Amino acid sequence: MDSYQLPQFNRDIHIALLKNVSNASQIRSRIIIAASIPSPQGDAEREAINFAFIDPRLLTSALHIKTAIYQALLNEHQASLRTKSVHSEILWALNPNNNITEAIRRFGVSDSCTSLLIVRISSPDLNDVEAKIKSIVSGDIVPLSQLETLTDWATIKKYYKLNGEPVLEEVAGDTQRERAVLDNIVVSSVAMKTVMQ
Amino acid sequence: MSPTTPLNPTSPPTLTLISNSTPVAQGAEAKVYKSILHPSREGSPVSIFVKYRFTKQYRHPTLDTNLTRARVAGEARALMKCLRSGVNVPGIRMVDASEGVLGTEWIEGKSVRALLGGGADDEGDDDELLEDGQDTQELLEEDTLKPFGLSQDTLMSMIGTEIAKMHLADVIHGDLTTSNMMLPFPSPSHLTLLYLVDFGLSFTSPLTEDKAVDLYVLERAFSSTHPDSSALFARVLDAYAKRVGEKEWGVVGRRLDDVRLRGRKRSMVG
Repeated sequence: MDSYQLPQFNRDIHIALLKNVSNASQIRSRIIIAASIPSPQGDAEREAINFAFIDPRLLTSALHIKTAIYQALLNEHQASLRTKSVHSEILWALNPNNNITEAIRRFGVSDSCTSLLIVRISSPDLNDVEAKIKSIVSGDIVPLSQLETLTDWATIKKYYKLNGEPVLEEVAGDTQRERAVLDNIVVSSVAMKTVMQ
Repeated sequence: MSPTTPLNPTSPPTLTLISNSTPVAQGAEAKVYKSILHPSREGSPVSIFVKYRFTKQYRHPTLDTNLTRARVAGEARALMKCLRSGVNVPGIRMVDASEGVLGTEWIEGKSVRALLGGGADDEGDDDELLEDGQDTQELLEEDTLKPFGLSQDTLMSMIGTEIAKMHLADVIHGDLTTSNMMLPFPSPSHLTLLYLVDFGLSFTSPLTEDKAVDLYVLERAFSSTHPDSSALFARVLDAYAKRVGEKEWGVVGRRLDDVRLRGRKRSMVG
């Protein structure tokens, strides 16, 4: 698990990558149910699952998710969140277009997920994040550096509309370079999403 | 659902980030900094290059915000278009258009201007060249290129090829100078590439005129910063011609000759 602080936002960021996840569909239905319980009864349940659940197959690198987190925090601070929470804003920031449902369907947890990337943005006084994650997800926490082994490059190319771009012809045949170039473009798209149109 | 503690209301986060960064240079439009965006407990943090278009007191605040926002957006879009077209430019790392901030990849290297011994650079990274006068400069020309494993000719071809790729994507840089070209220090992990930087004056245009003027601006920059550089610039144009193809070069090359005669402003109005 990777934790770091962004003092300019007065926030702590916790990122955990989990493999061998066996209860993805249960988590998904739990999120949906929690959202429909009225306040105040639902508040405890909503707090329990107050994380961003992301499909790591659609992430190219740690920088990719950190960039989305940063842009989501900026949107939150400027009171320009497009979605209802900073956690869902991360999913929105990852998706190249403005369709929130599509962002959640593509980048969020799906029933077929066997690995998950979990992000918690919190005030600096939140403790035991790892324990909280373990109580929701059954799986093994692995180092964030293993993210690259899970990436589904073909789907990334499709979602970020990179097929047929001239740059890919240039690096064709050199897988390592192609991935570095793709990662750079994908990170750049996330970073500049708010000024794309 | 949202976290309970209020966000720090005293200062916009991007300005706090800047106040904790190392200043690199300042111009009339913007200041540039070296910052760390994502601190990490594991591994060494990665630096980014931050360009901050500060508030201009001489403009009406509303106009200032709109202009700044549009320019940050324009620069980011030009970079994105270049990235997708395979032009070597720094990747985008963060954008805060309302504060006028664009963060891009940090390129650790030297500007082509410094490598060609182009004298005082306003970025101040080649001060050592100034101190010892002309003779040392001549010597340094070859020496500075040696760590990169490049000859001057190869460097010129790389410049021509990058500009050609950019023009094929219909991106016009607007401020092509040798200071706006960076050569990263060689590393075993990747090849030596030439990066075009500073797209602050860029725009997209498919017009021959704009491409010819872009090349003309570079030619003037070459001749004013590097004496006896016409042979060097000819190498740049050779590589450009090769990359864009005979047909396109026929048109742009002819127009470049016209521009040389009349200067970069086509119309004499204003």
